[in-house]
Amino acid sequence: MNNNAWRNFTPGNWNDTIDVRDFILKNYTPYTGDDSFLAEPTERTKHLSAKVQDLLKQEAEKGGVLGIETNRVSSILTYRLGYIEKGQDIILGLQTEHPLYRAINPFAGIRNAEQACEAYGYDMGDDVRREFQYRTTHNTGVFRVYTETMRKARHAGILTGLPDAYGRGRLIGDYRRLALYGMDFLIAQKKADMRRLGERDMSDENIRLREDVSRQIEFMQALVKMAAEYGCDITRPAENSYEAVQWLYFAYLGGQKEQNGAANSLGRVTTFLDIYFERDLREGKITESGVQELMDDLVLKLRLIRHLRTPEYNDLFAGDPVWVTASEGGMAQDGRTLVTKSSFRMLHTLYNLGSSPEPNITVLWSAALPEPFKQFCAKVSIDTDAIQYENDDVMRPVYGDDYAIACCVSAMKCGKQMQFFGARCNMAKLLLMALNGGKDEIYGEQIGPEGTVFPAGVALDADEVTQTLHHYMAWMAKLYVNTMNTIHYMHDKYAYERLIMGFHDTEPERLMAFGISGLSVLADSLSAIRYAKVTPIKDERGLIVDFVTEGDFPKYGNDDDRADDIARWITETFYAELCKTPAYRGAKHTLSVLTITSNVVYGRKTGNTPDGRRAGEPFAPGANPMHGRDTEGALASLNSVAKISYECCQDGISNTFSITPHTLGTTPEARVNCLTRILNGYFAQGAHHINVNVLDRQKLIDAMNDPSLYPNLTIRVSGYAVNFHKLSRDKQEEVIARTFHESM
Amino acid sequence: MQVHSIESLAALDGEGLRYELFLAGCPLRCACCHNPDTWSASVGQQMSCEQLLRKILRYVPYFADGGGVTFSGGEPLLQAAEIAQLGEMLRQNGVGYALDTSGCVPLTDAVCRAVAGADMVICDLKYPDTATMQQYTGGEFAQVTAFLDHLKKTGKRTWVRTVVIPGINDSTAWMDRYLAVLEPYRSIIERYELLGFHTMGFFKYEKLGLCNPLADRSALSQEKLAELQAYVKQHFAPAYTK
Repeated sequence: MNNNAWRNFTPGNWNDTIDVRDFILKNYTPYTGDDSFLAEPTERTKHLSAKVQDLLKQEAEKGGVLGIETNRVSSILTYRLGYIEKGQDIILGLQTEHPLYRAINPFAGIRNAEQACEAYGYDMGDDVRREFQYRTTHNTGVFRVYTETMRKARHAGILTGLPDAYGRGRLIGDYRRLALYGMDFLIAQKKADMRRLGERDMSDENIRLREDVSRQIEFMQALVKMAAEYGCDITRPAENSYEAVQWLYFAYLGGQKEQNGAANSLGRVTTFLDIYFERDLREGKITESGVQELMDDLVLKLRLIRHLRTPEYNDLFAGDPVWVTASEGGMAQDGRTLVTKSSFRMLHTLYNLGSSPEPNITVLWSAALPEPFKQFCAKVSIDTDAIQYENDDVMRPVYGDDYAIACCVSAMKCGKQMQFFGARCNMAKLLLMALNGGKDEIYGEQIGPEGTVFPAGVALDADEVTQTLHHYMAWMAKLYVNTMNTIHYMHDKYAYERLIMGFHDTEPERLMAFGISGLSVLADSLSAIRYAKVTPIKDERGLIVDFVTEGDFPKYGNDDDRADDIARWITETFYAELCKTPAYRGAKHTLSVLTITSNVVYGRKTGNTPDGRRAGEPFAPGANPMHGRDTEGALASLNSVAKISYECCQDGISNTFSITPHTLGTTPEARVNCLTRILNGYFAQGAHHINVNVLDRQKLIDAMNDPSLYPNLTIRVSGYAVNFHKLSRDKQEEVIARTFHESM
Repeated sequence: MQVHSIESLAALDGEGLRYELFLAGCPLRCACCHNPDTWSASVGQQMSCEQLLRKILRYVPYFADGGGVTFSGGEPLLQAAEIAQLGEMLRQNGVGYALDTSGCVPLTDAVCRAVAGADMVICDLKYPDTATMQQYTGGEFAQVTAFLDHLKKTGKRTWVRTVVIPGINDSTAWMDRYLAVLEPYRSIIERYELLGFHTMGFFKYEKLGLCNPLADRSALSQEKLAELQAYVKQHFAPAYTK
């Protein structure tokens, strides 16, 4: 079959069954050279890119939303054709009929969609309202089942950001499958799976799975129709470079039309596409400039992906991120690098099209990556602040060599694993709750199991506090797993990702991703209790609302085991507690230390803490040490974070690092070398993730005061990048207050 | 060892990434000093060589391409014996070190041992003659040239640095005087770097209640620094082997 599509490819297991990894390993061309082969943007690219810049400007001027398609519910076939400029687009397809216009997607919650429209001065159309009048959304389903305690925990802000009113996201369909096999083959495989499942006993799970697969097939067929409207026959495999990119993009786009989940990511695609590029280059059918033009056009389209969000959502995930995360580089298990020329081409789009937060380019770093690629990445970081790094050497043993990152730091095997996203639990607040006998320190409400409030005026005993905290961690972990089970049961029932899951194996491994925030605040607080003298102060309600902390104590972020071991204890203990409660659909529990930008919101909802942080002040993001508490500089801070074990945090450990250009060196070459050495040293210790910003604090202050100075200023804030101007003032201030490593 | 402070990421003071120890105490009182908090020999904390070694070895993963420890200050060579001792322990663990010194110390046995163990020395040439050296730093110019003689004799890899201060030494005429002093040491000098005077250390004078003799100065402009650096580089070109 597919004589033309698969011409000159080395055959293998991939010919008979869906096995993209096998196809890649048998056919790709590793690249160990430098960036000198890269091509400049074509005139067409420059023209279209200027048009997109203009649209982005209009979007910003209209308060962040250019337009909303209020009368229709988004799905694969809802909209007619859309173009940036008809006749100029190479890669076809937009989410709606106009670039940057947002679709309404109420499946996760109709009220949410309505509020989002209102927030931008639109009224959701009556047709949509009528359609959902008698329809249960995910959100309604969840609240039918939530217990009193779950609601209270949510209200108090100890469990926050749960995907109970919006799409859960964090999925990566293996969109490469469409290009390699064509939809007819993929549907035939799904039908074969249906027959196989039909022979099993009809248990709850088997019934659910058969319904899942039939829904997948329905949407895979819809995607064929959508592509046909653009004049493309995706029932067959892609036959050349253009088609490979176009098919892959259609597959991704379809998922974005159907779902508004946070962070449904692109996957690991460039090494796959490179095989098609190399074949066409060899056959003389395309030039380097033509290949770069395809990459540039794909990336332009990816930069236009938008979802309609409420202000509350934007508070947690600031800057309008979509997380079109694209994973680049890494090593194959056979020892070859997975870097290809197309890894360079993807990074090069940041020069050809200008810096941008999306796609969220994630470099899978390995000690063994080719040196010229490391240097090019460092250069891109220094020039654009747009990319992040994750340690392939710690992920490969867990996820193999065909995994990708969803969202910020969540690894999963492409097409073979999926994730139930679970936001995060506020660990600093949990300590206050433990000290207050299960009561919330702000509202005074009893949320956790009733216990004794620690006495005022008596110094806290570290062992006693640790023991009590552990008791509350156990309670919280159980509540958290059960809350997540409820959410994902309902999401599967009412807002299932039909197309995206169609690009997964029928029986994927499932991961349930829990998270914690406030790691550094809790670690420093416990350290203060152990190594200094911390005495609680109560208010008239008899609740502990403040502390007197006397004496110095070791702080997380100084490579001091006394504090860092506490941070390790927190992650390891909480993860062990989570694993005690079974997760929905047999999912494996995972944990992340990642806050996105919710560290500001969590801080707002948390009272005074024993480390000296005042009520309402932001936490440090992710696994970052609290700002201003490091005394030994940048590498000491990196060494502390590197100690958090990936073994118990397999959903990622996020670290955001800002350094001034001058600290890295005085020449461009010296800066590249310095940053490369930092990354090598950090990752050699088993660290998982780092965001790199190379800029001066003053530049941010200037940009905050006069946005016109740096209109495209991109910075990394968590596991993603944002346009600085899309952050609210309080978040801009928080970013500026963070530690900038600098030397005088 | 009396350690004023530690900077785990110092990329400018030597090759590769540097773990920099700022040692307490300095015999000079340079008008341009941006670290007056390191003058007193009793600030910071006393740390044993074993304690420091343990800390430093945590940074070995970053020390590729010639990286290592830099002893700075203050004047590190006031604690030369301790440096020689810790330096030997570092050497046994495959870690090298650099000295960042004013050269304004007597050439004692300990100083010679500390220099002998160093991969390289970064030596300040603060002023080009006895009078100005005395005027602006309180130090003895003859000690600096004796120190440079010793570096030359032992063939030590050397970088030289000069802080350029607006209104004091920011002219090509001054540069010529510096170059004349350095002329005999060409064979060991790999780099001659000019550092622009900046005002970021001013707050320390206020905090310490010290008189800041240059309180009315502004920082040297980047343009001026680049101009003088280019001038110096041109005149010093043959020695730029690296």
